[in-house]
Amino acid sequence: MPVLGLIAIGAGLYGLAACGVGIGMGISTAHAVDALARQPEASGKINSTLMIGMIMMETVAIYGLLVSILSIFILGGRV
Amino acid sequence: MPEVSIMPEPFRIGAVNVGQSVIIAWMVIAALIALMIIARVRINRFSGAPKGFQALCELIVGGAHDFAASRLGAEHAQSKAAAEIAAPAVLTLMVYVFMTTVIELFGLPPATDDINCTLALGLCAFIMVNVTAVRVKGIKGRALAWTKPMAGVAPIRILTDLITPFSMAVRLFANVLAGGVIMKLLYAVAPVLVPAALGAYFNVLHVAIQTFVFGLLPLMYIGEAVE
Repeated sequence: MPVLGLIAIGAGLYGLAACGVGIGMGISTAHAVDALARQPEASGKINSTLMIGMIMMETVAIYGLLVSILSIFILGGRV
Repeated sequence: MPEVSIMPEPFRIGAVNVGQSVIIAWMVIAALIALMIIARVRINRFSGAPKGFQALCELIVGGAHDFAASRLGAEHAQSKAAAEIAAPAVLTLMVYVFMTTVIELFGLPPATDDINCTLALGLCAFIMVNVTAVRVKGIKGRALAWTKPMAGVAPIRILTDLITPFSMAVRLFANVLAGGVIMKLLYAVAPVLVPAALGAYFNVLHVAIQTFVFGLLPLMYIGEAVE
């Protein structure tokens, strides 16, 4: 079944979406911590802005996960 | 391998396929309507000092208004008015999303596991955002908001606005589907104890986060539209 193997590799490659999102989350959290250390009184605003950014990034990871799930279960089911 | 399908589960009444999610959603709506009738009857007996059921109701409704006001900013009169208009609609959306998804905890399939349901919710949120923006700024003000910072960006900004319902729909659908798939795989691998521990996250906390996001996003779009 070489086709199934190719599908598995393709589904695994969508993990790269999580890779990019991880880097982005690390950068944004690092800057949020910097901002908190500089201005602890602005923690509410910083937290909510960080949250919005996190949601946007998480969407990309979820899209990757969705495509990965679909390629395993839908394409894999057809082989 | 567990069965996973992105196609909506069929549910036939006679010859008509109405879809499983519609039935589940109407069950949830029936429960919510019963709860609302109880709340409406008891509102007449509410007193000045809240306690018990009244305190819970005031906590939820006041929380929704505070949430909308804090996201839109209460400094300007326009954003304050937008928060007043949007808060009940956002609370409705959030209650619906939470209840139709958390029903997975009771062994029923969640209604938001169906792209039709989430797309309908996304379109509701889209209409709510635009109605709020038009009521606060007027049609002319809403149209002029697209031409900032310059007139050339108007097509891109209109396209960005039109994509929002689909973005919200796919986000919620994919999150619920992913949670469901992970739980199905867990049940297949370790049917005892492990699903109970991880189910607390995937069936309750994850749902609460998605509900929060689904309430936050329309408020963000309203904030962009009325600023």
